[in-house]
This record gives sequence, C-alpha cells and structure tokens, in this order.
Amino acid sequence: MRIYGRMAALALLSVALLTVTSLGVLAQEPVTIEWWTVASEEFDEEVQRALVEKFNSEHTDVQVNMTLLPSSGYDERMQTTLGAGQGAPDVALFWITNWYPQALDLTELIENDPDIDPDMYLPGFWNTRVVWEDKIIGLPLGVGANFVMYNKDMFDAAGVEYPDPDWTPEDYNRLVAELANAEQRVWGGDRPRGPYRAIWYNMGARLYADDSSTTEGYLNSPESVAAYQWLWDLVNTNGTPTPADLEVLGTEGTGPVDLFLADRLAMATLNQGHMLNAMAEGKNFGIVPEPHIPGNTRHVNAWSLTASIWAGTEHPEAAWKWLKYWAGPEGQRFLMENGNLIPSIPSVLEEWEGAETEYGQAFLDVLELEQVAAWDNEHPCKATVLRAVEDIWDLINLNQIAREDIPATLDGLVPAADAALQECVGRLGG
Amino acid sequence: MSQSKDLGPLIAAEAGDSRNRAITSAINGVTARRWLGYGAVYVVLTAIAIVFMIPLLWMFATSLKSRSEIFAWPPSWIPEQPLWSNYAMAFEKYPLARFMMNTSVLVIFNIIGELLAVPLIAYGFARLNFPFKRVLFILMLSTMMIPGQIKLIPLYSIYSRLGLVNTYVPLVLPAFFGNPFFIFLMVQYIRTIPRDLDEAARIDGAGTWTILYRIILPLCKPVLAVMIVFTFLWVWNDFLQPLIYLNDFYSYPISVGLAFFRGRYSVEWNLFMAATLVSILPVLVLYFFAQRHLIGGIASLGLKG
Repeated sequence: MRIYGRMAALALLSVALLTVTSLGVLAQEPVTIEWWTVASEEFDEEVQRALVEKFNSEHTDVQVNMTLLPSSGYDERMQTTLGAGQGAPDVALFWITNWYPQALDLTELIENDPDIDPDMYLPGFWNTRVVWEDKIIGLPLGVGANFVMYNKDMFDAAGVEYPDPDWTPEDYNRLVAELANAEQRVWGGDRPRGPYRAIWYNMGARLYADDSSTTEGYLNSPESVAAYQWLWDLVNTNGTPTPADLEVLGTEGTGPVDLFLADRLAMATLNQGHMLNAMAEGKNFGIVPEPHIPGNTRHVNAWSLTASIWAGTEHPEAAWKWLKYWAGPEGQRFLMENGNLIPSIPSVLEEWEGAETEYGQAFLDVLELEQVAAWDNEHPCKATVLRAVEDIWDLINLNQIAREDIPATLDGLVPAADAALQECVGRLGG
Repeated sequence: MSQSKDLGPLIAAEAGDSRNRAITSAINGVTARRWLGYGAVYVVLTAIAIVFMIPLLWMFATSLKSRSEIFAWPPSWIPEQPLWSNYAMAFEKYPLARFMMNTSVLVIFNIIGELLAVPLIAYGFARLNFPFKRVLFILMLSTMMIPGQIKLIPLYSIYSRLGLVNTYVPLVLPAFFGNPFFIFLMVQYIRTIPRDLDEAARIDGAGTWTILYRIILPLCKPVLAVMIVFTFLWVWNDFLQPLIYLNDFYSYPISVGLAFFRGRYSVEWNLFMAATLVSILPVLVLYFFAQRHLIGGIASLGLKG
C-alpha cells in the first residue's frame, strides 16, 4: 500500500511539475496576431511597419505579424478568407458592411477596458462606422470626408472669385460655367457621383419616408425635383467632364483628382487623400463644403475606417491589445505624426499640425456637419431603391431628357421605387 | 543575198537581243511590281504595327512625365523634361527586382510542372486504352468550364487546412497535375501523329515510356512551345491567386507588387507606368525569341488569340 501511495504521490508531483512547467512556457511564449492592412496616402508601408515594431518592442506577450495587401486586392482577399471561414486575420480593416457579421462584438472588451471609451472618439464617426445592430464591431481609425477643392490659380486666371463656404448649388453651376474653357479642354467642376448624397440632402431631398413606408412624396417631392433639375442645369452648362470622360481618364475612379492636379478641372469633390496629393504637388488650392440651401441642415459625406477583430480569432484578448493600440490614441497619434492620418480622436486631432493651415481648418469645419451616413445607415434599402430609379440619373447625365419632363418622370418612377422598397423591407424582416 | 546571208547572224543576234531585252524588261517589270507589292505590304504592316505600339509608346512617354503633365491638354508624346528618375523612384518605393524574381521562380516551377504532367496525361488519353477513357476525358474537359472564382473559396479552404497558405505550393502544385487546356491541345496534336511510328518503335522493342519520350515528344515541339509561352504569360500576369495565398510582402510576385502603385485615393501613373514597363520586358523578350515557335505552334494547332 505504501508503494502505491508513494507512486500516487510521485504521479501527482509529476503532473504538478508538468503543469507548472507548461504554464511557465505558455507565459513566456508570446501570442502572434495576424494583422492585415493596406498602404494608403495616410499611412504607407514604412510607417505601419514602424508602428508594429514599436508595439512589438513594448509588448512581450503579444507580437503582431503584419500583412500588407494592395488596396485593389484587399476586398477579394478578405472575401475569400471570410467566405472560407478560416485563415482570416485576427485584426483587419472591415470596410465593407457585408463583413460586419463576422466582426467580433467589442462591447464587453470596451466595458472592461479603462483605456478605451466610446466618448473619446468623434461621435459622428463612432455612431456611423462602428455601431452596427446594437453591437460595437470595431474602432474608428482616422477620418475622411468629401469636400469641394478649388484650384486658386485657375480661378485667378479666369478672374473669378473663390467660392464662399456658404455657397448654394446655383452658385456652383454659375462658377462652373464661368471657369470652363471648351477650347482648352478645361472644365469648371465635376458632377456628383450619384443622387441622394450630400447636395441632395442639403437641398432637403430624401429618397423615401423615414419609416421606410413609401417613396411617394419623397422621390417626387419638390426638393427631389429641384435637386434633379439642378443636376440637369449643371450638365447643360457644358462645363463638366462627362462620366465617360472620367471613366476613360481614371480607370480606378481617379479621374477628378488627376484632372484637378493637371489644372484642367477647377473644382472637384475630393477627399483628404486627394488633399494630400495636391499638397505634395504644390497646388495652390482651397476647400469648401459641398453647396447647400441656407436654412437646411448641411451634410457631409464622411467616413472612418472600421478597424475590427475577426469573430473567429483564437486570441481575442491579444487581438484587442493590438486593436486598441492601433486605433486608440497611441496608434493614431503615431500615424498622424509619422504619416498623414487625420485622427478620429478629438484629443489627438487637436495636435494635428495641418489644423493650422487654411485648408486644414476648412477640413475640420466640414467634419462638424451632419453625416450623410447617419440617414443612410438607418435606411439600408437606399441602394436597392436607387437601383430602381437609376434611369433618370442616366437620362440627365446623357442629356436625353428635357428639364420640364423631370417631375413627371420622377412621378412615373414612384411605383417601381415603392415595389423595390417593399421588397427590401420585407427581405430585411421589416 | 550574200550580204543578207552575212547579216543573218547579226539580225538573229539583234532579234535575240531584243527578245532578251523584252524578257529582261518583263522580268524587271515583274520584279518592280513585286517590290512595289512588297513595299505596299510593308507600309501597311508598319502602319498597323505602329497602331499596336501606341499604348506601349504612350506608357513609355507617361513613365517619363511629371504627374501633372500626364493629363495636360493638349497631350504630348514627348515629355517636356524626361524624368528618368521615375524609374529609380519606382524601384526605390517597392522591391520590384525581388517581385520579378519571385515571379520567375513561379514561372519556372509551373513550366516544369506542366512539362512533366501534360505529356503524360495527354499521351494516355491519345494512345492508351483504359476503362471510362471517354468519360474521364469529357470530365477533364468540363473542368475548363468552371470559372476560377467559384473554386477560389473551396481551394483556399483546402490549402489553409493543409497549412500551405503563405507558401508557393498552392501556386505551383496544380501545374504538376496538368492543365486541362494544354492536355486537350496535346491530345489533339498527338492524334495527328501517325500510329505507324508507335508501332514501328514497338516492333523495334520500345516500351510505352520510350515511345512517349523518344518518338512522340520530339514531334510535339510546337505544342510544347505553345505550352511554355502560355504558361509563362499566365503565371507572369496572374494577380488573384498570389494575392489570395501569399501573406509575406517580400514573397509577392510582380503582378501583386505593381498593384501597390494604386493608392486608396489615386494612382501614381508615372511610377506605375515605369514599373509596368520594366515588368513587361521579360515578356517582350520571350516573345521576341519564341515567336517563331509560337506562331508555328499556334498555326499547327489551329489556335487563335
């Protein structure tokens, strides 16, 4: 019996020793996190590698392995791995809404972490970019927005006054006509990329009712009619490049910025990435918000990158450590100081050197406006309904419709738009 | 009479001369017409070649321009001040030489794989008899009808489970199992080779392997050339597969590497064109040296495009 007792004690001791040893090994072995990212005007390869190096040197328990993907292939790579349900990165940019269901809900992690507080981010970006179906599916990294960039040299050469930030859509059309020079293939301004974006909202137009019940009285409202007629007027100034021109010039949708940098487009609706391009090229430019109707709420098409953790990660705690470093104050400050990121955290944004410049200040003013995404996020059927009514957009852009026919055409599109809306609402479960 | 007799040879000689002159002038006329014909053909062909060269020339011109000059109006073929530094900048920005070397490795292994697998499979289908041969052949051909995108996720899943993601194996391994398109080509080609050659070799004591490697393969040079060139081009230009399977930046091939010149908001066209021009040089060189085989191969196979 004594022998058995000794053997049992020995076995217990061995098990205990093994456990302690393996725990010790586990404690020493750092967890490696897979992180996928892209290079952009705001953070290039070098600055991101430096950020990873800094994090890895400061953390012995978590190490980050960075995979840099080309922007043009990022979607395909993410779709494939998320579709396969394996091999997806622990941390990545989840910039397509379809990927949100596969992002980890961070609510609990944020609640238990004193370092991250939703209130530390710009509220507009937090609400529109990381809150999804009552979950928090990421942290907003940086900010971006559309605004109108105008080429001061071209305005000076044409003897035209710079646009006032308080300008109206009619002012825009007038300036386009004054600045265009058909002989020199110079355009005054570009056309909007689609309806029911900032200018439509600034004119008070909405695609359908807030409760998603109907498009009647919305698609064909006086405000919508006015917005479409404004577009008709713009097209008929003959001072804008056609969508076909831009397709030919920019296979990657880069036409407007390319023309702007070549002094062939006096005004273009661009973003902070383009602003950086213009600065690098030494362009003399200014920025103003998209035109609006005085008295109406003014909107901006703005965004932030959604930095998320994949729900299938085996290391959520370690992934969270990296995510909050990358998209938290420390990482955003690093990317701002060493790259060109414009942070989404006001306390860091205050330190942005660009804020002292004229266009930097104008950019910050734009961020204060109501976001287009605020309405869009609450109305997920917008894209479906827009597809049902895209004919009128094409007809106007191709100059195939008379101005006075626009109200009747919109009236005629209401049944198809309503059908699309009802189908979508039903599909999404009401 | 005697005078005329005396003059006879002279007249005859003159007549001969004039006949010769007529023949010479006729020949000269034909030659001149032929040369004119050649000249016209060459002029037309040169004009067509220039048209085809325009994108390449534009690419070259763009690679030497400043960013704002690219979209200037009126467009210029010759840059105001050629910026050769664009080439250096493109190479400084990304490790293009490394990317091209990676592509070369992929090309070589893919070609080896195809050269090993395709003749074996094609010979089997063309010459050997085995159960379900026709069904298997149709099944093999039917895999060509499946779009690559459909296979992407299942294949990724398999390679991921095997731990082969972020290696070159998924990009090379399929070549060692043959490409249905090449197999089909080679089967058709082998079928045109008389069976008498196989039978003669067999009478001389050759086995199946010997017949394949000593009789059939040497006669298949045109189709093998087509295989090599097409594999080279496909692998050199393949963007999606390496993008899906590789993680390590320094293991990317040139097709993926070039995509880095497209930013999120804009494209550095001048650097992009410089890098692209350099990246297509090996393809042009290959075409230059292999065009005779390629054209011969394509003609003998009845391929287009």
